[in-house]
Amino acid sequence: MNVRLIVLWVLVGIPLLWGVMKTLDNAMKLFQ
Amino acid sequence: MPSSFLDRENTIAPPGFNRFMVPPAALAVHLSIGQAYAFSTFNLPLTKLLGLTHSAPGDWDLKEVGWIFSIAIVFLGSSAAVFGRWVERVGPRQSMFTAALCFGGGFLVSAVGIHLHQLWIIYLGYGVLGGCGLGIGYISPVSTLIKWFPDRPGMATGMAIMGFGGGALIAAPLSVMLMAHFKTAISNGVLETFVTMGVIYFMFMMIGVYAVRVPAADWKPAGWTAPSQPKQLVTSANVAVDMAWRTPQFWLLWVVLCMNVTAGIGVLGQASPMIQEIFNGRVTPAAAAGFVGLISLFNMVGRFFWASTSDYIGRRNTYMIFFLLGIVLYSSVPTLGHLGSIPLFVAAFCVILSMYGGGFATIPAYLRDMFGTYQVGAIHGRLLTAWSVAGVLGPVLVNYIRQYQIDSGVPKAQAYSITMYIMCALLLIGFLCNFGMRAVNEKYYYRGGTQA
Repeated sequence: MNVRLIVLWVLVGIPLLWGVMKTLDNAMKLFQ
Repeated sequence: MPSSFLDRENTIAPPGFNRFMVPPAALAVHLSIGQAYAFSTFNLPLTKLLGLTHSAPGDWDLKEVGWIFSIAIVFLGSSAAVFGRWVERVGPRQSMFTAALCFGGGFLVSAVGIHLHQLWIIYLGYGVLGGCGLGIGYISPVSTLIKWFPDRPGMATGMAIMGFGGGALIAAPLSVMLMAHFKTAISNGVLETFVTMGVIYFMFMMIGVYAVRVPAADWKPAGWTAPSQPKQLVTSANVAVDMAWRTPQFWLLWVVLCMNVTAGIGVLGQASPMIQEIFNGRVTPAAAAGFVGLISLFNMVGRFFWASTSDYIGRRNTYMIFFLLGIVLYSSVPTLGHLGSIPLFVAAFCVILSMYGGGFATIPAYLRDMFGTYQVGAIHGRLLTAWSVAGVLGPVLVNYIRQYQIDSGVPKAQAYSITMYIMCALLLIGFLCNFGMRAVNEKYYYRGGTQA
């Protein structure tokens, strides 16, 4: 059960984290 | 796939099921349909399907293309209102599957429209079909999450609705990457991107379809008992959807949501030109895009933060903060612009947009407090019509007042001041409606049981 839980969170977490990183990368331009 | 797999009875969780499996299932759906917030990345490429590098004769113009998103948002609100009771009846798995078919299918139908260069097919595809996917997908996991987390309903729904804000953060760079990848000498890559995204989003939403479960009727979190002394403005009774919208509380909440969204969505749509015009020459278009990304991030984070906070301080108090702090921040924007302080200006809008997202994410738990868990998803669906109204009202107010100010000779940098004060007035209306919230009269209570 715990493995399924971790896999599920990783599946949704990775794209979200990727989107956040891309957004923060763009946002840095505001303060350059 | 056997049809029984989708039935509500086959989604009842076995004993020992970990309830934290349900939020990522909801997130899989909301992260997908949140793509809608990033649809504008397709606007310019859709106006260059024939000319490729420029708009050729016969290409669609930006105004025509802009209708795709507007139709989708109108169908989001109306499908959530119309299909809310069906979603409650068939359960989250069948409704999530339907949402995946509609949303993924909307992209594929639109790809046919691009191939044939027929705009009405895209209106029908992404606008109508995709819009229904947005509405059904948005409300699908709400009542399930509330039932799984009776101790933390705000946190649970906040986690899912956070995904709708986060979807744009994924979709915007993904769309740009896919279009660049598929670009050739004879295509700007939009058609192939639509097909790819339709397939990706359908598969991603299927993760939610497979993982979602509903709790057994007598299930409670381990060690948790319903409070014997109910909190103020938290009912232990239930109100059916057809009765709920006859109560003054439903309409007070409708105005509360509408005012909160109107103020935020108007700014969100105009954020890029606004910061460039207020800080004329100091903010480049690339930096303005960074500003839009940053406030979108706070829109997402605010959904989880404020909805979780509302579990501790109460829904009514949370909205009190939104409206009072919102009035202070909106009224300070002209001064911050005049002072020329970009960091303070950005910080103010980050907080404002966090409260915009927070307003969306806290409303399901507020509805549960007022109307109980029976048909809360359907009531939520009907309340989302406030979003459709705000989606038109907000941008119209900001755009028209700005244009009127400029036409009257006001410098561009100061053209937003009046708009900000009008937003304050809208928030004051929301504050008064929230202030007037009282418990629902017992005559509206549902007497037939507690489960849909």
